[in-house]
Amino acid sequence: MADHEKLVIMVTHGPEDPELATIPFVMAGAAVASDVDVVMGFQGDGCRLVQKGVAETVVAPEFAPLAGLLDSVRELGGKLLVCSPCVKSRGIEDELVEGAEVCAAARFVSEVTSATNSLVY
Amino acid sequence: MSTVLSETDLTAITADAVVDARGAACPGPLLEAKKSMASVAVGGVLELWSTDAQTKIDVHAWSDKVGHEFLGHLPAEGYERVFIRRVK
Repeated sequence: MADHEKLVIMVTHGPEDPELATIPFVMAGAAVASDVDVVMGFQGDGCRLVQKGVAETVVAPEFAPLAGLLDSVRELGGKLLVCSPCVKSRGIEDELVEGAEVCAAARFVSEVTSATNSLVY
Repeated sequence: MSTVLSETDLTAITADAVVDARGAACPGPLLEAKKSMASVAVGGVLELWSTDAQTKIDVHAWSDKVGHEFLGHLPAEGYERVFIRRVK
């Protein structure tokens, strides 16, 4: 059943690579629109995409602006999980967008192993 | 589910809601369709306008997955009109 499907999307590229930063959100947007539960996991520089004010700066040619995609993913129920040491090392743990949840490795493992499928970018 | 209608039948449709997603890149039109479908009663028709030639293919696949009925598309001036019937 579609409403039991879950897709986990791991994001490791930050704003320095707009295309690889945007594609995970494109996939997440299509998934939430298709009634698939979506969990996005941000690690490494990927966590900068959910730092306040950063998404608004990311626009890849021929892609939808990242900020609008982020809004749609959140509006349609997508979850945003952010790697704890990654945000601490960058000093941005208090600068994350609304809805972003800081978590550690076991939570990521739990989400991935209970998902229908996962994508890594 | 899909029941692709003839151009004549599509032209005769008066949609219950029209969404203008012209200029939006993938998956923008799909997201607009998803959000707007909530305003259409079951059995009603949503008409989606898009300048992205992939939208009709994407929306067809989306309709099949989520259980709506893809009715087809009509060319317009510089964009396409895509028709979907809400089933659930």
